[in-house]
Parts: sequence; C-alpha cells; structure tokens
Amino acid sequence: MNLKVLSGVAASVLLTSSFALAANSSDLEKVLKEVRAMKQTYEQRIQSLEKQINLLSQAKPQEAKRSAPASSNSKVKGNAFNPSVSAVLNGTATSFSRAASEISGFGVGEEGERGSEGLSLGETELNFSSNIDDKFYGSMTAAIVREDGEDKVELEEAYLETLPGSGLPDGFQIKAGRAFWTLGYLNEHHAHADDFADRPLTHRIFLNKSFNDDGAEASYILPTDFYSEIGGGVFRGDDFPFGGTVSGLGGYSAFARVGNDIGDNQSWRIGAYTTQGDVKARASNEDGISFNGESDLYVFDLRYTWAPTGNASEKEVIVQAEYFHREEDGFYNTVSFDDDSAGWYAQAVYKFAPAWRIGARYSDTSAPGVPTSLAGTALDSAGHDPSAIAVMVDWTNSEFGRVRLQYNHEELTNDRKDNQAILQYVMSIGAHGAHPY
Amino acid sequence: MHTHINLSRCKFIAITATILILSSMHARASDAVNVFACEPEWAALASEIGGERVKTFSATHAAQDPHHIRARPSLLSKVRRADLVFCSGAGLEVGWLPILLERAPRGVQPGTAGYLMAADHVAVIEKPVVVDRSLGDLHPEGNPHVHLKPENILILARKLKERLLILDPPGSDYYENKLKNFTISWSSATEKWQKIIKPWKNKSVVVHHKFWSYFLGWSGLREVGTLESKPGISPSVKHLEALTQKVRKTNVVAILRTTYDHDGPAEWLSSRTNIPVVVLPATVDRNAKPGALVAYFDQLLSLLETKVGRL
Repeated sequence: MNLKVLSGVAASVLLTSSFALAANSSDLEKVLKEVRAMKQTYEQRIQSLEKQINLLSQAKPQEAKRSAPASSNSKVKGNAFNPSVSAVLNGTATSFSRAASEISGFGVGEEGERGSEGLSLGETELNFSSNIDDKFYGSMTAAIVREDGEDKVELEEAYLETLPGSGLPDGFQIKAGRAFWTLGYLNEHHAHADDFADRPLTHRIFLNKSFNDDGAEASYILPTDFYSEIGGGVFRGDDFPFGGTVSGLGGYSAFARVGNDIGDNQSWRIGAYTTQGDVKARASNEDGISFNGESDLYVFDLRYTWAPTGNASEKEVIVQAEYFHREEDGFYNTVSFDDDSAGWYAQAVYKFAPAWRIGARYSDTSAPGVPTSLAGTALDSAGHDPSAIAVMVDWTNSEFGRVRLQYNHEELTNDRKDNQAILQYVMSIGAHGAHPY
Repeated sequence: MHTHINLSRCKFIAITATILILSSMHARASDAVNVFACEPEWAALASEIGGERVKTFSATHAAQDPHHIRARPSLLSKVRRADLVFCSGAGLEVGWLPILLERAPRGVQPGTAGYLMAADHVAVIEKPVVVDRSLGDLHPEGNPHVHLKPENILILARKLKERLLILDPPGSDYYENKLKNFTISWSSATEKWQKIIKPWKNKSVVVHHKFWSYFLGWSGLREVGTLESKPGISPSVKHLEALTQKVRKTNVVAILRTTYDHDGPAEWLSSRTNIPVVVLPATVDRNAKPGALVAYFDQLLSLLETKVGRL
C-alpha cells in the first residue's frame, strides 16, 4: 500500500514538473505551491496508513491467541489441578474481671465456655477445597486448637457437595460428610467470618458453639421470583445437642427460608429450622451433669442488610437475630426431666467508613426449672436468666485482614458480673472464597 | 431407636413448603429468555439485541461498584431462573458470582451457551506481570471494565446474538434484524464520537481508579496517575502529595472519578492544583431503555467536552 502511494506521488511530481517547463515563473511558483500542498497531504495519508498497519499488525497476534486457546495453554503442569488452599490466623489478648465463668441453668458443653485469659491463639483454620470432577465439589477444614496445654487438630468440616452438572434437577443440592449444617444464620459460617470475637449465648448453650455432626443434607431452591429454599438432613447423632449415638442415625433436621430485596439497597432473609433427635449421655462441663433422652431444637433467624450508598464496601448496616427454643424429655443424670428452655440474641453492626465498623449485641436466655434433686448443681439457675452484652469496633485493612476490640458484660450466674476485654486479629492467607449472604 | 416427631411444629414447615412449591409453579410461566446481567450495560445490550424476546435483570445499579456487592438472596433466586448469565468477567464479579452459580441451572455454567463473559471475547488490557496481595486488589485476568470502548460493545452485541440464536432458535430472524439495526446506529454514533474526541489526543488526566483505561485508550487521553496508590486501597496522604508534585509538572486537564468513588481525594487534589474534577457515571441506568448505551457515551463525551475539549 505504501509503495503505491509513493509511486503516485512521484508520478504526479514528474508530470507537473515537465508541464512547469513551459510555464512562466509566476505560474511556476503557483504550481510548486500546489505540489507542496499535494506532497503534504500524501505524506499525511502515508503516515496515517502506516499507523493503521502498525495497529493491525499489533492486534493480529492477540486475536490469533484468542481463537486458539487450547494450543497456547496446552502445557499442564503437575500443580495445575491443586486445590485452593487457605489458612486463617486468629489470635486474642483478653482480660476478664472474674476468675471463673459458668453459665448456670443449662448443661453447657466444653466449647460453650469463654476463651482463655491473656495472650492466646484462637482456632487456626486450614482449608483445602476444589471441584472434584464435573459432578462434585469437596472441602476440608481443620482447626488447630490449644486444649489442656496441647495442640490438637479438630476436623471442623469434610464434605462433598453436588455441582449443577451432577444431573440432579436445577436448584437441587446434596451435601454429605461433616459440615456446619443449615441451622440459623451463624451455624453455617466459620467463626472467622463472625462480627464478634465470640459466639452469642444461644450458640454456646444450645449448640456447644456449632452443630457439625456427621451426616447429609439436601436442599432445593424453588424457582420463585423471591428467594425461597427448603431442605432437610439426617445425622449420626454424635455432636451437641445430640451425643453418644448407638445406632449411628440419631438426628434429623428440616428448614425453610425466604428472602428478597427492598428497593435497590436493602435486603433481607428469614428462616425457620428444626433439628431433633436422640441423646445418649451428653456430658456437660460442670458438676458431672449428663443428659439422656430426646432433645428438639427450633431456631428462627432474621438478617437484614442496608447499604445506604448502594455499596456495602463503603457503608453498611447489618441487623441479625436468632431465637432458639429447646424441648428436652429424658433424664439429667438419673432425674426425670421434661421442660423447655429458650434464648435469643440480636445484633447490629454499622460500617461507617470503608475500614471501620462498630457493633453491639445482646443475648438473653430463659433457663428451665430445676428438679429438686439437682438443686445446687450447674443446672440450678436459682431464678437467674443468663444474659450478656457485647460491643465491638473493628478495623479491616483488606478483605483478608481484620483487627477487633470487644467489650463484654456477662451476667451468667446469679449476682456474678464478668467484664471482659478482648483484642483479636483474624487474617487469612491464600485462596479465600467469597462468603455467602 | 425411636424418633419423636412433634406434629404441631412440623406442620408449619409442611405448610411453608406447600406455599412455596405452589408459588413456584405459578412463577414458571414466562417464555422469554431470562438474562441475568451482572452490570447494567450488559442488561442494556441484551435488551437492544433481544428486544421483547428477552427479560433482563441487572444485579447491580450504576451507583454500585460491581466488584463489592453481596451475594444477596434475591440474586440467588434470579440466577436460579436465568437462561443466560451476561457479565464483564475477568474477576470483576469474583466476590459473588461463583456463589450464585453454585446454585444456578446447568445451562448457565461456565462453558455453556448460557454463560457469556465479556472479557473472554475482547482484548483485555493491563494484565499484571506480578500478582501479590501486598500490591492491592489486582485482577490477575486484567482490567475488566471492557464496556468503556465502543468497539467492544459491537463485538459483544455479535457474541450475544450468537448465544441468543442457540438459546432461542425461533427468534433467529428477530435477533439478526435487531443486531443489524443496532450495528447501524452504533456505527454512526461512533463516527460522531470520533470527531468529538479528535482534539483530545495526548491530553493528560488523573483517574481515581483504573476504571477508565479502555475509555482513555480509545479517546486518546493519557493517564498520568491514579488517586488510589494501589488498586482497591484508599489513597494515602503520602501518595497524594507525590501525585500533586507530578501533576504540577504536567499539564493535566481533568481529574476523573465515577459516581461511587470517594469524592475526598479528587477534591483534595483539585483544591491544590485547580484542575477540575469530572464525575462520570460508571454505566447506564439499571432499567435502561433501548438507545441507552448510545446516550451513555454521548453523556460521557459531553461531560468531558466541557472540561477537556475546549482547552
């Protein structure tokens, strides 16, 4: 293309110059002027054409690469199929005003206790997860914790989940193994994603922090205009609120929940859940209290989020509440027991600047009446209903690092007030999947 | 083993389930191709090409940063019924789209005709050589804001038509026709825009975030710095001071930010250097009418022309 234009320019210059021989000088000047103008236009055209050629030759290889991705990416390295790996680092510095802390009126499990005082490492979580093949996804989370002066590994989760390509109907999913099962808002989440340094009283009392028995759960998202999901599961019956299974099939669950948006920037979800089953020798932490019988739990939860700017990363208000109701029918130690207990918490967290949040939480419970022969034990609430207040402020440097200061005021036993200060960091290394709503 | 079932309490679950199932049967009636767009621009393009044969929904609105939204329950229900998921891709929606896709139909999973990521079909710029989290929130896949270059819109319009032909074969003539009309109006609009941006060549601007890179590349404007010291990390005073020094040595004509970027840093720099701040909408409105994409570029150029073009 270049050559053509150049030869064109040359030819026209020759023609005009031979013609100019016959003309007088003023004509000559005029012609020369014209030629110069012509030369300039052609030069400009050549320049722009050259530029286009350059652009095209630069663009070509890119397009070629796109059309043949298989050949350019064909080198598969040995580690190309490695799973996502992540570790969550969690440390606390705490100060308590009371030496001891017991929750009276309930047979509380070991994990329901407050953390240890002073400097300590919380749960260090290690997670591996990946798609197994076209039909299954797998995930494993182990927590390394210090218990009785020894580092122990607790298997928090090890489950597989069906993928949309599994052949099940759209919206249907099965999860099997050990997992934080669907039971209210917090239970499904790992503690590192919590808005407070500790779990509310409801989870400490009724779930021994969390329910992650061995089992399987099926759920179905209905094809409705708003969000609606139903599901249920069967469990081994070993984990609190169950325990000491004999048959290996001691518990089951069911749930239903709905949610939607209000306008552009508000969102909500409510749910109802139940988990019921047999309990064999569920030990609690104090006074050798042990329960045998049936334990049914009903949970209701609510979550509401409002991002006043539309951007949750800038400003956001989250309100969350859960209500627990437990019916127990059986024996505490050898004493017959048939009573209900309940508890709830409500919390609000306000992100007022991209890196800063403040929050407050109130937990309250109503303890069951105590059989006379168990009076004076940990089951005897002496008419007191344990309650707790927590306030916190946290600073989030990035999605992966957070530092939190929390103050707790707990009245867990009659006339005993415990004031706690907790400084905590939660940091994650490596792949970190997004958190669900 | 005997398991105790409390009938009265199980009843409410059964009733809830029945209501939900009944209402879901009711909701299944629509025949239109359901397009779940992650950003309003793709919803707008889908309604240009799909017309009455598609029903579009945008997961985000123009004042929202699509990189940081929550995987809300309402989005789960929308993606659950989608026939086509149309997003920017290149990691822009990495914080929420994977969660939604986990429960989405087979037909919109990666690799299917119902999964259309814009960045997979155009030349992506600014792919980082080194990726480390200490460098900020980098997209290893490159800059995802591909809608800000007019050529890309046409490429995606063609891609989208191909997908709609697969998903809804009876509408093939309709889609072909819509694409033809859109191509004509887009091309004539592009010619008009080329004239407006011609004098902008090599004029310098400062941007808040590397959001505008495709637009700058197309319009000939030159970026001399970003207000963010690292992508996704709030500007520090130290960085802003250094930027001010740099800006004073260069003839910068404008400071650009989107409506949802913080106004602080841009105003700070402006007050020190007297360079005007231009606030540009990141995309079209959520419920955009046909013609909205042309109107959007018109708007961008006219907002800039008052500040840049006359200098």
